[in-house]
Amino acid sequence: MQVGQWFTEIVNRMSKEVVITGMGLISSLGLSLEENWKNIIAGKSGVKKITLFDASSLATRIAAEVPPEFEELSRHYIKKRAGSQMTRVTRMCMTAAKLAVADSGIDFEMEDRLRCSVIMGVVNTGNSSSEKDTTAQNTVFKTMTNSMPAWISLEYELMGPNYAVNTACASSAYAIAFGFEMIKNGQADIVIAGGADSIINFEEIQGFNALYALSTANDKPEEASKPFSKSRDGFVIGEGAGVLVLESKDHAIGRKAQIHAEIAGYALTSEGYNIMAPMKDGEGMAQTIDLAIRNAGISKEEVGYINAHGTSTELNDRYETMAIKRVFGDRAYQIPISSSKSMLGHTIGAAGAIEAIITAMSLKNGLLPPTINYHEPDPDLDLDYIPNFSRIADFRVALSNSFGFGGHNATLVLKKH
Amino acid sequence: MAAITESIRNEVKEIVYSFFAEECEVEIAQINENTSIINDLDGDSLMFLELIEIFKKKYNLDIELKVIGKYAVKHPVTTIGQLVDMQLLIIEHENRLMEIDQ
Repeated sequence: MQVGQWFTEIVNRMSKEVVITGMGLISSLGLSLEENWKNIIAGKSGVKKITLFDASSLATRIAAEVPPEFEELSRHYIKKRAGSQMTRVTRMCMTAAKLAVADSGIDFEMEDRLRCSVIMGVVNTGNSSSEKDTTAQNTVFKTMTNSMPAWISLEYELMGPNYAVNTACASSAYAIAFGFEMIKNGQADIVIAGGADSIINFEEIQGFNALYALSTANDKPEEASKPFSKSRDGFVIGEGAGVLVLESKDHAIGRKAQIHAEIAGYALTSEGYNIMAPMKDGEGMAQTIDLAIRNAGISKEEVGYINAHGTSTELNDRYETMAIKRVFGDRAYQIPISSSKSMLGHTIGAAGAIEAIITAMSLKNGLLPPTINYHEPDPDLDLDYIPNFSRIADFRVALSNSFGFGGHNATLVLKKH
Repeated sequence: MAAITESIRNEVKEIVYSFFAEECEVEIAQINENTSIINDLDGDSLMFLELIEIFKKKYNLDIELKVIGKYAVKHPVTTIGQLVDMQLLIIEHENRLMEIDQ
């Protein structure tokens, strides 16, 4: 490549902006973006006693389950034959994708399908003991972790790359980052990115109980997830799906699409430290946040909100707070921070996408969602966690953090459009 | 080997038509022998396997899937009519399916 071409490539990349034109969200707080947003801003909890299986013998008997009405909704969007080859989680992903595409207003008949891709964060497909109607003939389709992007690609006959990425709790944030990269590099015009997950099954909860990672506050489910509080005792498992339609700004404007928010950049790092615990004092988290800010070409002073990973575990919340202080210094005290997991539980592979959607909605609407169940501050955690009530705010840049078992870190940088 | 009677022929046709109507969420009246399994019904190859299992049980057939696979390569099935005909041949010839061509 000649110097002139090389220079042109760099200028093209720098000038290409990536925007969010569609969003679909299914969680314990709703089966549509609007319903979710309304409940999130109202500070509601989706955590209840587990109904998907008999949890009576487990230490943890609570979770944030998607409402049973989801079954009816999914039948509206997914043909019976295809649905029988998907797990409940895959159907959540597919339904969220269809909601996102409908929200974006894209007509794929008008698009170059070779330039349309699908990237999903998938930790597992939920083909567990909780899954119904699994047979020998659909076991493979229900289990293969590429099934979510594959079904979406099949539905719209998209011919660009479609694949799954697994980086534990950061999976769907990684999917968004890779989608951003494909558009930025000119490899795609449109990327459907996101993720879905549910580990609400006997074996996974038993496993996480053995790691002392889950809350056992079974008596008051809706109060069990309490990120940054002194009495936090572990995370609460949630389930759901979040899917975003990413598009180059030029392409979105060309088809007169609505733009929810812009993705300004991201950082992905590995901690190389421990399979479960975050790096001491949040050093790895801080490096990720700092790098994301630099990659996005923004200044630290511009950051007006952080959607924290905020799991409600002792170590995450402590280290994430330390990381934010390390990056922002004294300004950390002026940045509102909240944990969506206080309301939705931890949706594992879906969390990065769901929280990116909430962050985009915050920017778009000028509203900061709260951290609920914040009644007993931890004296060591002294930042502004937007306790219990949402807040009106005028801000232009927000971060969304995702940190996964295995040291997979991701920070997305979103900007108001 | 079973002789194909009019009764078996009608039964196989009814099972195939009902199966596709149910799985593909279409009215039976919309299906005819020229209906394309892929293009018209949005069907898939797994359906063929599921039907074979249904007929294996129903008629207690002695046939290996690889025999059907070899035959299907030489005699591709794209329509409902072709599928019904092949199921009848499977019922009639079982593991001797390939001998038809000899």
